[in-house]
Amino acid sequence: MGVLTLACFSSLVGSKSLDFTLKLAKTAADKGHTVNLWLSSNGTMIGKAHQKHLKDYSHAEKPVRELLEKGVQICECEACALARGIQKPEAIEGVQWNAMHWYLAKIYSSDRVLHVGGE
Amino acid sequence: MKLGVFVNDYKSTVETVERLTAEKLGLIFIQNGVFHAALKENGKPSPLLDKTGNLYALSEDLATRGLTAADVDSRVKVVTYSDVVDLIFNDYEKLAWL
Repeated sequence: MGVLTLACFSSLVGSKSLDFTLKLAKTAADKGHTVNLWLSSNGTMIGKAHQKHLKDYSHAEKPVRELLEKGVQICECEACALARGIQKPEAIEGVQWNAMHWYLAKIYSSDRVLHVGGE
Repeated sequence: MKLGVFVNDYKSTVETVERLTAEKLGLIFIQNGVFHAALKENGKPSPLLDKTGNLYALSEDLATRGLTAADVDSRVKVVTYSDVVDLIFNDYEKLAWL
């Protein structure tokens, strides 16, 4: 089994890259791999709790919570979140907040890294 | 180096791919990138399909666009998310996102 670190800079809106990233993370975790997920730029929007699941609207809180339950380490870029008006008390419980060094440390200890670009 | 490249859009990325050098190059078509595997322009398939013999298209993204394996160029292997994870760990050392 290996260690996969994913980074996603895309939001739920206007891109399917975040959706792809979450599904890839889930599949890798289900196959027994260790998965780290770094959320940066607009990707930080999925770390916010109390996302309402409206019909036909993208919604990621449930898959994020499922990933956390599977042991996937998820971390938001703190500066990116704060710049978008997301405060730490609003974060989904279990989602970490940190700076870029968290991502860099994971990269160095990973077997594979996929950096998913933003919009 | 064995390089796996995720192609997520249906735009011309030929020049970018040509600048990549790898002992083994794989192109993994996802999202709108799967159109490279299935569509023809002026009767010609995507020029990306000539860049390597290691071509993959994500089945779920084909299906959400109304495409099936039958629509895909015979050079492209249709893969699942599970297959993609195996490609990542077993076939390619480095990964890129286009």
